[in-house]
Amino acid sequence: MKKSWIRQWEPPGPWKVPVIILLGIFFGLGIFILKISNAPSYLSDEPEACVNCHIMAPQYATWSHSSHREWAHCNDCHVPHNNVFNKYYFKAKDGLRHATLFTLGKEPQVIFIHEPGKKVVHNNCIRCHEELLTDSKLLARTESYHHYRTDRRCWECHRETPHGRVNSLSSVPFARVPLPESQVPEWIKKLFQPKQ
Amino acid sequence: MKPLREQIKTKPWIGWVLFLATMGIVFLLGLLASSIIERRSEAQFAYTPEVEYSQFEPRNEIWGQNFPREYQSYLQTHQSNFRSKYNGSAPIDMLEEQPEMVVLWAGYGFSKDYTQARGHHRAVDDIRETLRTGAPMDGQTSPMPNTCWTCKSPDVPRVMNEIGVAEFYRGSWETRGEQIVNPIGCGDCHDAQTMNLQISRPALLEAFERTGRDIESVTHQEMRSLVCAQCHVEYYFNENIVEGVPYLRFPWDNGLSVEEMETYYDNMEFSDWTHQLSRAPMLKAQHPGYEVYLTGTHASRGVSCADCHMPYMSEGGQKFTDHHVQSPLNNIANSCQVCHREETDRLVKDVYSRQDKIIQNRDKLEEILVHAHVEAKKAWELGATEEAMNPALMGIRHAQWRWDYAAAGHGNSFHSPVETGRIISSGIALAQEARIKLSRVLANLGHNKPVPYPDISTKAKAQAFIGLDMDNLNREKEEFLEQIVPTWDAAAAEREETYER
Repeated sequence: MKKSWIRQWEPPGPWKVPVIILLGIFFGLGIFILKISNAPSYLSDEPEACVNCHIMAPQYATWSHSSHREWAHCNDCHVPHNNVFNKYYFKAKDGLRHATLFTLGKEPQVIFIHEPGKKVVHNNCIRCHEELLTDSKLLARTESYHHYRTDRRCWECHRETPHGRVNSLSSVPFARVPLPESQVPEWIKKLFQPKQ
Repeated sequence: MKPLREQIKTKPWIGWVLFLATMGIVFLLGLLASSIIERRSEAQFAYTPEVEYSQFEPRNEIWGQNFPREYQSYLQTHQSNFRSKYNGSAPIDMLEEQPEMVVLWAGYGFSKDYTQARGHHRAVDDIRETLRTGAPMDGQTSPMPNTCWTCKSPDVPRVMNEIGVAEFYRGSWETRGEQIVNPIGCGDCHDAQTMNLQISRPALLEAFERTGRDIESVTHQEMRSLVCAQCHVEYYFNENIVEGVPYLRFPWDNGLSVEEMETYYDNMEFSDWTHQLSRAPMLKAQHPGYEVYLTGTHASRGVSCADCHMPYMSEGGQKFTDHHVQSPLNNIANSCQVCHREETDRLVKDVYSRQDKIIQNRDKLEEILVHAHVEAKKAWELGATEEAMNPALMGIRHAQWRWDYAAAGHGNSFHSPVETGRIISSGIALAQEARIKLSRVLANLGHNKPVPYPDISTKAKAQAFIGLDMDNLNREKEEFLEQIVPTWDAAAAEREETYER
C-alpha cells in the first residue's frame, strides 16, 4: 500500500512520543517568541507597532504632536500604496532591515531615511496632496508644468513636516511614547509580587 | 498497561494532548523566564552608586566607577590622533606651520614652543612637556607661576580648598608639580552629590560677580557652555589684587568684545610682555573661544558647546552625554547632522571654506606685523625717541592683539566667521597705520627705504633670528622630564594612597 504524502513524515513507532514532545517544544517556543516580540502588531497599521523598537520613539513623539497625527499613520507615508503586494513586500523588506539592525545594535545615533524610503514618502505626499500640487488649467497650458511642480522633494521646503528638525535618538528624552509594555501577563506578575 | 506509543496508535487524541500540553508548558516556562529577566533588569536600571567620594576627589577613575558610559567615552580624549585641515587633537607644531609666530612672540614663552593641545586626558602631560614651563631643576625655577596649573586638573579645586585661592596661585610652577597630577576630569564640571554641572574655578565666578550676573540663575543649557568657559576664554594674570600673586582674572568688566577687552587692558596699562624687537607693550590673547562663540549664529540659536563637542547619545534606551570631548569634524554624524541633514562631505566642505577664507587674511596680518616689528627695531637702532615711537607701538599692540584674538581661539573662524573676519580686517588696518607712522619715524631718522623682511621661512630660522638657543632648551626639558617628573608622580601616588575610600 502506498503511504499518503503526510504519512511519509510519520516517525517510526519508538520515536513517536519524543517527536511529539520535541514538536511541542518547538511550536511552544515559536509562539513565545511571537508573543514576546509583539509580532502580530506588525500586520496592523497602528503606529504603536513602530515603537516596538524604542529607538523610533523620537519619530513617534514628533508625529504625535504634528497635524498629520489626525490623518496619517506611519504606514500611510512610509510604505507604498500603489498595490497591496508592493505594500507588504516593502513593509517586510524595511521591517526586517530595521529589526536586524536594531537587534545587532548597529543603529546610528542620527538616522537618515534611505533613497527607496524617500521615494515612497514623496509619492505618498503627492497621493494625498495632489490637488495642492497641480492645477489642471495650468497643466493643460504650460509645458513641463508637472515636472516643475514635482522635481523636488516636498521636505526640501517643508522641513519640519512632520518630525521636526532635530534628529537624534536622544532628541525627545522626556516624551511620553507608548513603548512596548511588559509581555509578562498580570497573573504571573501577581504571583511573584514581593509582599507589601 | 500498554506503552504510550501503542495507546497513541489506537487513540490519536492522546498524541495531540501530549503535543498541546508540551507546547503550553514551554510557553509558560518562556513567560516565567521573561519575568525573571525583567526582575533582574530592574536592578540594572536603578542607579546604584558603586563608590562614594567627595567633591574634591581628584581621581577620575573613582568617579568613573559610578558612571561607566561617561567615563569610557571621556577616556577616548587620550587618543589625540585626529587631525582636521587646521586643528584637531593631534599635537601639531604650530610654529612649524606658521614661523611668523616666532617673531610675533619674540621675548615671550610662546616663541619657544607652541604645540596644539591634545585631548583633556593629556592636559597634565602637555603642560609638563611644553618648553614654556621650562626645566625647573637643580635650583632653577620655572618661568611660569602656579596660576598656569589652574585649568589642568581636578586637583586644582582640591588644593584651592585646602590652602585658599590666592595661595594656590602663589609661587613658581614647579612648586605644585607633586600636587597637580590628574588630568582635566569629572570634578572640574560636576557636583559630586547630584552630578549637576557646576563651576569649580573662581575666575569665572568672580567675573560674574563683578559684572552683576548671577551664576545661580543661568539655565542648564547655558551651563553646558559655561563649564567650558571656565577655561576656554581670554584671561590674564593680575599682580595688583594680592601682593606677589599672579591672580587669574577675566577682562570682562567692560564687556566681552575684542575692543572692550582692549580698552580694559589699556586703561590699566597692562601688558603681558615687552616685545623683544619692537619694544611694544604687548598683549597675549589666550583662547577667547567662549567670547567669540557667543557672537556666532549657533550661539544665537541657543546651541551650547556640548551640543556639538559632546553630543547626546542613546544606548539601550539610556540617554547620556558623549564625554569624548572633541572636534565635531571627527563626529559629523552625531553632531552637525542632528540639525543639518546634508551629506558629511558637504558639511565638512562648508567648515573648511570658512576656515580657508579667514586664514588668508590672518596670514596677511601676520606678515604685516612681522614687518612692523622689524621696522620698529630698525627705528630704535637708529636712535628713535620713545615719544616718537609710542603711537606706532600702540598700533602694533592693538593690531597684534586682534590677530592673536582671532588665531588663539582655534574654532573662531567656524564659530563666528563674520566677527573673526571683522577682527582680522580691523587688525590689518591698525597694523598698516602703525607702519605708516614707523616709516615717518624712519624717514625723520634719514632711513627712507624698506627695511628688509627677515628669512623666517622655517621655525628653526625664525628662532635663530630672535636668538633662541633651542638645543639647550630641548635638552634641559628632556632631563627635567626624565629626572623630576617621575618623582612628582611617585609623591602623588603616595599621597593618593592615604585618601579615604
